[in-house]
Amino acid sequence: MRVKVNDRELELAPGTSVIDAVFAAGYDVPYFCSQAYMSPIGACRMCLARIGAPRKDRDGNWLVDDATGEPKVFFFPTMMATCTTVVMEGMVVDTLSKEVKDAQRGMVEFTLINHPLDCPVCDKGGACELQDRAYEYGTGRSRFVFDKRHQEKHHPLSELITLDRERCIHCKRCVRYFEEVPGDEVLDFIERGGHTYIGTLEEGLPSNFTGNITDICPVGALLDATSRFRGRNWEYDHTFTTSLDDASGSAIVIDARTGRIERIKSGINPEVNKSWIDDGIRFGHEYAGDPERLRRPLLRRGDAFEEASWDEAAAFISERLGGLSGKDVGIAIRADATLEEGVAARALAELIGTGQVDHAPRHGPSLVPVHGATLQDLATATAVIVLGDVTEELPALDLRIKDALKGVSPPPLFAHGVPIADLRLKERMPRARERLTVVAPYRVGLMQHAGRPVVVPVGGEAAWLQAMTDVANGTDPDEGALGMGRAEAQGLVRQWREASKAVMVVGGFVLASAKATDAAAALAKAVGASQLLVPPMANGRGLEITQVLPSHARYDYRGMLAGSAKALLLSGLDPARDPATAARLGACELLVVHDLFLTDTAKLAHVVLPGKSGYEKDGTTVSLEGRFLPVRAAPVDNGEAEDLTGVVKVLGEAFGKRLEGRSVRSARRVLRKELGFDPAELDRLGLLHDLPRRRSGVSVGPRQEATGAALRVPTMVRPEYLARNPRLRAALGDLALRLHPADAAGHDLHDGDEVRVPVDGAPWRLRIVLSEAVPRGVCLVPATPDAPVGRAHVALEQVVHERRALEVA
Amino acid sequence: MSVLDIAKGMGVTLGHLFKKPVTVQYPDEPAQIKARFRGRHHLLRHPDTGLEKCIGCSLCAAACPAYAIYVEAAENDQEDPVSAGERYASIYEINMLRCIFCGFCEEACPTGAVVLGHEFELADFRYQDFVYRKEDMLVGVKGSKWQRREAAAKGTAVRVALEAPGRPELEGVEH
Repeated sequence: MRVKVNDRELELAPGTSVIDAVFAAGYDVPYFCSQAYMSPIGACRMCLARIGAPRKDRDGNWLVDDATGEPKVFFFPTMMATCTTVVMEGMVVDTLSKEVKDAQRGMVEFTLINHPLDCPVCDKGGACELQDRAYEYGTGRSRFVFDKRHQEKHHPLSELITLDRERCIHCKRCVRYFEEVPGDEVLDFIERGGHTYIGTLEEGLPSNFTGNITDICPVGALLDATSRFRGRNWEYDHTFTTSLDDASGSAIVIDARTGRIERIKSGINPEVNKSWIDDGIRFGHEYAGDPERLRRPLLRRGDAFEEASWDEAAAFISERLGGLSGKDVGIAIRADATLEEGVAARALAELIGTGQVDHAPRHGPSLVPVHGATLQDLATATAVIVLGDVTEELPALDLRIKDALKGVSPPPLFAHGVPIADLRLKERMPRARERLTVVAPYRVGLMQHAGRPVVVPVGGEAAWLQAMTDVANGTDPDEGALGMGRAEAQGLVRQWREASKAVMVVGGFVLASAKATDAAAALAKAVGASQLLVPPMANGRGLEITQVLPSHARYDYRGMLAGSAKALLLSGLDPARDPATAARLGACELLVVHDLFLTDTAKLAHVVLPGKSGYEKDGTTVSLEGRFLPVRAAPVDNGEAEDLTGVVKVLGEAFGKRLEGRSVRSARRVLRKELGFDPAELDRLGLLHDLPRRRSGVSVGPRQEATGAALRVPTMVRPEYLARNPRLRAALGDLALRLHPADAAGHDLHDGDEVRVPVDGAPWRLRIVLSEAVPRGVCLVPATPDAPVGRAHVALEQVVHERRALEVA
Repeated sequence: MSVLDIAKGMGVTLGHLFKKPVTVQYPDEPAQIKARFRGRHHLLRHPDTGLEKCIGCSLCAAACPAYAIYVEAAENDQEDPVSAGERYASIYEINMLRCIFCGFCEEACPTGAVVLGHEFELADFRYQDFVYRKEDMLVGVKGSKWQRREAAAKGTAVRVALEAPGRPELEGVEH
């Protein structure tokens, strides 16, 4: 389509909106209601322009202007909202004439009629679209002398989001967002005309993705309650980085002020998280500023700890290690460590001469699928098989799956980025639910969007996958395991096979079992699906690729804890909740703990080293799709905290060695050789870089798989830090033990009770949540880095009540 | 040079001998300060309610060319508010060593909370004593930190050796 915007002619694809044509031509129109990735609705009437197009006569010939001989341009009788107008051949758009400027100025004035002059106290001030547009397009002077509309000023929509109803300009972005993006309709307009306000039917916002509305609100009506009044927008240091809270590789922006993280906003990565992040990532940062954080190394003196310098700590460690055989030393790092930290751990293990090096949590099977899919593949898939609870495990996947159900292919990119108004998107679009199959051992949130929800018994994934593979291969399946009729299963398999693109998302419940993982791979192969394997923590795939793995299966993390190591260096891990493990750790000849807080394990240690959170590290991470993404450090006041490269530097110096991996730079020199590119040169969007599957021949999976009738389930929040995230905890509640009401009755348990209960022998304090979504005979408890997603034993008969909900009431 | 020139010069000298001296006997006598002189800042209160005018918006800090101002805001307890509205300054600091007394903060302030007054005797001994906090600047506080310290040690009233006509912006500030 040939379009002329003011004086510039350009060629655009049919279906492009006029607003994108204007931006593509390098001109500007103001807008409030349009938002990339959401349907354009023309609610704010701000993007007005004068639009004309040539017409054809009855014979299909252009009507020609007699004077010029060119096709005559007929202008629309009124100004048009450019966001909802589609380009036409020969269209002429005028955004510069006086009529257009007057119309835009009028709209700004109209929008400002009822907008309070709160800017000095508004958290949006300085980053406000209305402020900017009023400055650029407004009159600069108010003609209204009468009183403005008065409504509720700070209405807590939830613990995490504050709504100021006076500031709302009714652009409907937030309402549309909930319906179109996560599909949780929790917000709507109430009343009409000037009385309109947004509100919820229920208390709070029951969704995992509520925080995004604070990013898209063009004014200061919806604000992040965790950063309320913490700083002005121009005072924040913005760090564009990648979240290490899960393996999605979501882009985030950390806003810090005077050494404190005040808020996290969504970054933009069109191929990963678009511009959305879940509430766990957005609001789960308060722990980084907790006053109890370790700021200096601690050395044990008798029963107490004493603060020490890094050099003293390193000298102590190297002296103790000198008396030990190198082979008896174990090094375990948490699987959200960066690749650079992985290189450092490897270098340290090499120096000491031990093969006992591992990252945890780690499932047995490899996280690099044979036929891997990307998130973009998932978003454009025509058949999606989900094994597990992705809404909690890796919420970004949940949103990409919902994109796939809409069936709208990723938009073309303009020079100004993704389209501001993608006219293919509509309000309340039909979703092809039949494309989605969700298989999990309990009713998960995504099942309401699935054409085929299948609840399998605990540990029954392998049998189901095997049965479906049998159906696909035409052999006799175990019909009991199918959970549906054979004909129905055959129909399903045919649908997957015939789909132009089928993607299987494999969650932790399956990955916890090597048999089930193999069965999933077999089914994927049989129906021609590619796979996305969900790592238990952010960089599981990266640490596997960079071989932070034991030399032998019995030297894995669990083996180290079980006694194969006499000296241990644990980074970020806290296994001491289990009393048996705690006893063994207490008997270690040397226990070095590198962590943010004085955890139960750290209390047993000889040396405690202060660690950095995922917001304070520089490095590289690998997302579940194999995308290498940069992690950048936000300016946070963390005392003398160091990441693992810093630990290795000081320890290496104590041994008189300059180790590879003594700094991020030196680790990157190693990575450059191994990966074939320089991680320092990664841009924010990252790099999809295929690497061969695990190179070492040894099997390094756990020797025995967990058993038990209960399940450790993934949570969107990080359970190890929930107690130090007060806002998030208030909004989402304490860590829960979920079970069926009928099971609860037998054990005198009531909704909201606080109980102490042994999970695999380790005491847990949990809040009882009764839910019909949980099958009878099953308990759901949260998974932690030390006890990842999978099966567990919960001794319900040993429940001790800490507090009864009835007493509180 | 002629004798006449010398006599002329002496004449000038002689003429000045009988003029009123312009020397100010500061600090024994107060310095006469002009109304629009820009000295130490005052943080004003609403005279009727006694609430602080400052809403912690940080616009003064944004306008400050010397980066001398630091503000942290917090939410008002509606039962016992510090300022009018939702927000108040929980920390308000001006570093008087950095400050160049340009008055941009006063111009930027949307509520007229920070106004440059007439006090100029800000000399002190330690760096940290030049950082004036809210309690050093709120209306009613007279004198620099050092003057108030000295007065407290001697048990006398704070003596500010200046006199200045009032200015409408300095609502509630007495001299």
